[in-house]
Amino acid sequence: MPGYIRLELVRSLRDGGYIVFGVIMPVVMYLLFTNLGITPGDKHDAALFAMVSMAAYGALGSAFNNGSGIAEDRAAGWLRQLRLTPLTPAQVVAGKVVTGVLGVVPSIAAVLLTGVLVNHVTLTAAQWVQIVALLWVGTVPFSLLGLGNGYRLSGQTASMANLATMLGLAIVGGLWIPTTNFPDWLRAIAEWTPSNSYASLSWHAVAGEAPGLRETAVLAGWLVVFGLYAMYGYRRAGRTA
Amino acid sequence: MEIAASLANVTKTFGSTRAADGLTLSIPRGRTVALLGPNGAGKSTAIGMLLGLLPPDSGTASLFGGDPERAVRQGRVGAMPQEGGIIARVTVRELLTFVSGTYREPLPLNRILALAQLTALADRRVDRLSGGQAQRVRFAMAIAGDPELIVLDEPTAALDVEARRELWASMRGFADRGRTILFSTHYLDEADEQADRVIVINRGRVAADGTSAEIKRVVAATTVRVTVSGEAAWLGRLPGVTGMEINGDRATLRSTDADATVIALAQAGAVRDIEVTPADLEDAFVALTTAAAPSGAALLKENA
Repeated sequence: MPGYIRLELVRSLRDGGYIVFGVIMPVVMYLLFTNLGITPGDKHDAALFAMVSMAAYGALGSAFNNGSGIAEDRAAGWLRQLRLTPLTPAQVVAGKVVTGVLGVVPSIAAVLLTGVLVNHVTLTAAQWVQIVALLWVGTVPFSLLGLGNGYRLSGQTASMANLATMLGLAIVGGLWIPTTNFPDWLRAIAEWTPSNSYASLSWHAVAGEAPGLRETAVLAGWLVVFGLYAMYGYRRAGRTA
Repeated sequence: MEIAASLANVTKTFGSTRAADGLTLSIPRGRTVALLGPNGAGKSTAIGMLLGLLPPDSGTASLFGGDPERAVRQGRVGAMPQEGGIIARVTVRELLTFVSGTYREPLPLNRILALAQLTALADRRVDRLSGGQAQRVRFAMAIAGDPELIVLDEPTAALDVEARRELWASMRGFADRGRTILFSTHYLDEADEQADRVIVINRGRVAADGTSAEIKRVVAATTVRVTVSGEAAWLGRLPGVTGMEINGDRATLRSTDADATVIALAQAGAVRDIEVTPADLEDAFVALTTAAAPSGAALLKENA
C-alpha cells in the first residue's frame, strides 16, 4: 500500500488541476483579499481570518480533486487493473483516502506559510498546532464526498460535480466572503454547511476560543453522511467496474 | 496433470445474451493455451470469470483449484484485460515499480523491462506511448509479479504486424520460464502458431478443444489429390477418406487421416502425381462456428 500511496502522490504533484486549484489559487486569493483590504476589520485579525479561510478553501480543492481522480482512474480501466494485483479493494480505498489526506497538506501549508512570511501573522505555538490539526483532520468528510462522486459518476461529470460542489461549499460556507456580510437567510444556510463548520473550528482557534459544540456536531454529522455516500458509490462502482 | 485454471459448467447471462452457456474448460500448468472464437463468442466473459472479475450465474470458476480472487491476492496470476490500465502522469518505470511492488516475489525491474522490450522507454510517460508500446506496458504489468499464470484478453487486437510480432516475442520469453499462458484471440494464425492447445469457443460454449493439429484433423479434412485411371470407387473406401470427387482422371479425396490414406494409396501402387494439401485452421474454424457443429468436435472434447 505505501507503493500505491507514493504512486498516487506523484501523480497528484504532476496534476495541473491539483496545483492550480489546491495550491496556487488559494495563495493568490489570500494575497489579494488581505492586501486589497476586502476583508473588514483590523489588519492582523483580517490576515488571520483570511488565512484560515483560504487554507480551508485550498484543502477543499485538493480533497475534491483527489476524488475526481478516481473517476478518471475508473474510465482508464485502472481500478480493474488494481483488482488484478494482490492489493485488496480495502487497501485501494484506504490508499486513496490516505492520498487525499496527505494531498491537502501542501494546500494548507502554502497558505499558512504565506500568512507567516508575507502577512506576518503571529499565533502561539499551541494555536498553530491546533489549526494545523483541525484544518488537516477536518478535510476527511470532503475527501469522502469527493471519492463518492468519483466512484458514482463518470470522468468528466465527476470532475465538474466536484468542482461545482467545492466552489459552492467554499462560497456558501463563507470561505471567500465572511458570513457576517451575508443576508440572514444565507447565513442560516451557511451554518449548516460542512465547509463553514470546518473553517469555524480554526477561526475559533485563532481567536483564542475553544471549538464550538455546534460546528463540531455539524461537521461530524456530515462526516457520517459523506462516509455512507462514499461507501454507496464504491459498492455501485464495484458492480460496474 | 496439474490444472492452473478451470471453468466447470459455467453460465453467465447479460440481459438476453448468454455469454457463457455451460462452459467447461481446463488449462494445464506450463502450457500456452489459446481461447479462439469470433467476436461475441464469450471469450472475455470466460476470462472475466476466471479472474474473479465477474461472478458466474452458475457453475464454478477456479484458479489453482481455489477461488480466483484468492489466487489473485496471492499473486499467482497476472492479467492483461482487453483494454485499460494506462494512466496519466506516470513513467513506465514508476508504473512497473508500483505494480511489481504489490507482489511478494516480483521479477527485478530490469528483467521486466527487458522481457517487454521497454528498456529504452523506461523513463517515458505511459500516456505518451504509441499503441504498440502501451500494449507492451500492459503486458509488463501482467508479468511484473512473476506469476505462475498470465491471462491476456486479445493482447494483439488493434496492433500492426510489427507490434504483434514484438509482443509475441515477449510472450514466448515469459512462457520459456515454464509459466502458463492463457490468451484469447480471434486471429486463427495466432492460435495456430503460438498455442500448444486451442480451445474454440462459440456462443458461450466450447466448440472444440485440442492441439491445432488435432482440431484441423477432426474438423477440416486434408485434401489428397491423385491421378487415377479406370474404376475409382475403391478410393472412397480407403482409410481416413470421408468424401471424394472425380474430375476427369483426377480424384480429390477428403481425408481425416492423410497419412493412412497416402500409405494405402502407396500399397495399392496408385501414387501418381500425388498432392497433399493440409487443412487450414480457418476451414476448421468456419466449420466449428457455423450453426451445426460437427460431431467430431464433441468427440475431440471427450478425448482431450
